[in-house]
Amino acid sequence: MESVVAQAGLVLLRDSVEWEGRSLLKALIKKSALCGERVHILGCEVSEDEFREGFDASVNSRLIYHDVFRDPLNWSQSGEALPGGPLGALQAMCRRTDPGPVTIALDSLSWLLLHLPCPALCQALCALSQQHSCPGGGSPAEPVRVLCLLHEELHGPGPLGALSSLAQAEVILSGTMGQASAHILSRRPQQHPTRQTQWFSILPDLSLDLQGGPPLESQPHPEPHTPPVSKGAGARTRECGGGVRDSSHEQRKHPLDLQVDPTAHMTFNLHLSESERAAKDSLTLPFQFSSEKQQALLRPGPRQATGRIFYEPDAYDDLDQEDPDDDLDV
Amino acid sequence: MAAAADCGTGAGSTGSIGAAACKNNVTSFQRKGPRASGTDSGCSRLVSIAGTRPSVRNGQLLVSTGLPALDQLLGGGLAVGTVLLIEEDKYNTYSSLLFKFFLAEGIINGHTLLVASAKEDPADILQELPAPLLDDNCKKDFDEDVCNHKTPDSNIKMKIAWRYQLLPKMESGPVSSSRFGHYYDASKRMPQELIEESKWHGFFFPEKLSSTLTTEPRSLTGGYRKLLQFIQNVIYEEGFDGSNPQKKQKNILRIGIQNLGSPLWGDDICCTENCDNSHSLTKFLYVLRGLLRTSLSACIITMPTHLIQNKAVISRVTNLSDTVVGLESFTGSGRETNPLYKDYHGLIHIRQIPRLNNLIYDVSDVKDLAFKLKRKLFTIECITKLTSYGTQGQKYLLPGHLQRKFAINKNRYFRTLHNLNKTY
Repeated sequence: MESVVAQAGLVLLRDSVEWEGRSLLKALIKKSALCGERVHILGCEVSEDEFREGFDASVNSRLIYHDVFRDPLNWSQSGEALPGGPLGALQAMCRRTDPGPVTIALDSLSWLLLHLPCPALCQALCALSQQHSCPGGGSPAEPVRVLCLLHEELHGPGPLGALSSLAQAEVILSGTMGQASAHILSRRPQQHPTRQTQWFSILPDLSLDLQGGPPLESQPHPEPHTPPVSKGAGARTRECGGGVRDSSHEQRKHPLDLQVDPTAHMTFNLHLSESERAAKDSLTLPFQFSSEKQQALLRPGPRQATGRIFYEPDAYDDLDQEDPDDDLDV
Repeated sequence: MAAAADCGTGAGSTGSIGAAACKNNVTSFQRKGPRASGTDSGCSRLVSIAGTRPSVRNGQLLVSTGLPALDQLLGGGLAVGTVLLIEEDKYNTYSSLLFKFFLAEGIINGHTLLVASAKEDPADILQELPAPLLDDNCKKDFDEDVCNHKTPDSNIKMKIAWRYQLLPKMESGPVSSSRFGHYYDASKRMPQELIEESKWHGFFFPEKLSSTLTTEPRSLTGGYRKLLQFIQNVIYEEGFDGSNPQKKQKNILRIGIQNLGSPLWGDDICCTENCDNSHSLTKFLYVLRGLLRTSLSACIITMPTHLIQNKAVISRVTNLSDTVVGLESFTGSGRETNPLYKDYHGLIHIRQIPRLNNLIYDVSDVKDLAFKLKRKLFTIECITKLTSYGTQGQKYLLPGHLQRKFAINKNRYFRTLHNLNKTY
């Protein structure tokens, strides 16, 4: 899971009411802070104190918090409020010029979607996640990871689809029987999208505990967010590889779905028995030039009427034996 | 259209009427012999442009789309002055490949390119173009592909359609580079020197945005308007519409627009169903088609129609484009496990073919087409391979051939499907 989520670009964490994603977001923030990256957080939904609780002091010192929750409409006009509102804050993050890998966390993208027009937000997100290529060239590509929390029940299919098409990785949270799982859809450029399911749990100190499979006492039943094809596919290293085949990384214990058999419900019989097959193979087709026909032609046999025409005249036929063209002087 | 008129007069050479006519001077027909000099401005003979050919049906000037199988389906190629709209598949893997094939074909033929995108820098797009397959090394790979597919079928000859064994096989493999359409190797990159000596213009929308992002929705035709102005400037300055009398050879402008209609262009038809400026995209297509009709250019647009919420917009967009091809990939859908589709990567739907200077169009009989991306070739094949009785699992398909299948009703209880090679 880490390899998929650790790639640069936009990572969407889609959570729902039953399976909340803020703890996973905090766990990922903690992991990247401990790796030495700088973490910028745009907090819109919860207050700064509530967000910072659970992190220890070393992690907290690395977090740079931009607070939109306290004064979202900038009524207080004080100097510490962010100019331009949340979009201005996003823009300011775009324009930072410090070197090194950076993680930006948006908590949450749902709040931004409800307050900003969707196309402007998509453009800002795209600019954020691709900013290593923007500033004037010459600077090496720095991985910028943007972790966004999105409450998928708040939005219709339009904004969700638009944001999914922008994301490099999408993590859909669900689970069974108290055990959370993450369906990870990873869309690297030039490669086939890969799907993976990872069972995990968040420990009280906000570290991520990955588990092998679903809890043993649970009944295997499909989760609500499971796409119909639920097998995992290995990550592809070749771009545009031919053929989609399942391979390793199957995390679930469910049996594989049986392949759909198109001949299952037909009302007629498509199978041949051995005698029928032998009869079919030995059948001579009418217009095929087989050896028997060739022999028959080579040896003109008796009563060989190859070119006789049998004609029964109708009542309306005019059987005039005279040639009508006789009087033509040709 | 400007190009078609020239094409019609010059397509066939006049015969040897002149020899008999000059004796008695009865007619004014003169034989037009081949001239030694190159181009003449007063000559009505068509100066043939590299990479184009006239259509055999109506004399329209055609360019290749970069995929010879798609050229065949569209009736020989893409007509100059028209728009090819590609409805993207869900994860945009194969539609971006078709986009790159179109641009790579332009580079091979020496056409001028105009690449517009809101997501990727056009310079990066050009770096990722696939390499062309040249004759020698690809032909043996292609032949070995054909052999691999042929060996399981060789024992089952075509017994019923035996007459078609005598027909010559359709040319399907890559041949010389002076041919109309070329094959590309999707796993290799185009050589850098070919890209550098080509002429291209890029339009990267985030660079043209004003520096301040305001929260109120800007006029949604802002991005589209800038793009139209850019295209119009390029056409006018480079003389593709015949405005500047140019001494040099005429050339084709290939325009490629990626992800049109996505929110990155500032358009919200993908986000909401009842959007305020729902006509900006349709206006854009209308004006673009007007620009294309009056110039020697061809355009490819990829559009994420699966994201568009309002279905009426999709039908309007289809009507405003000339050729519409839809891709549907099997990645992540339930069809991945269906054994009927196991050799393929997706379905390709030809949604619309234009009627250019015609009353009818040449719609193919075959509606079930599927594509697959092998390691070097992108092939489109007819998918109705069925199991006729007794031959379950037999494949009638050979790679690279476009084949047609006709269903013959033997009696009213069952059908048998036969395989016929159709030569054009």
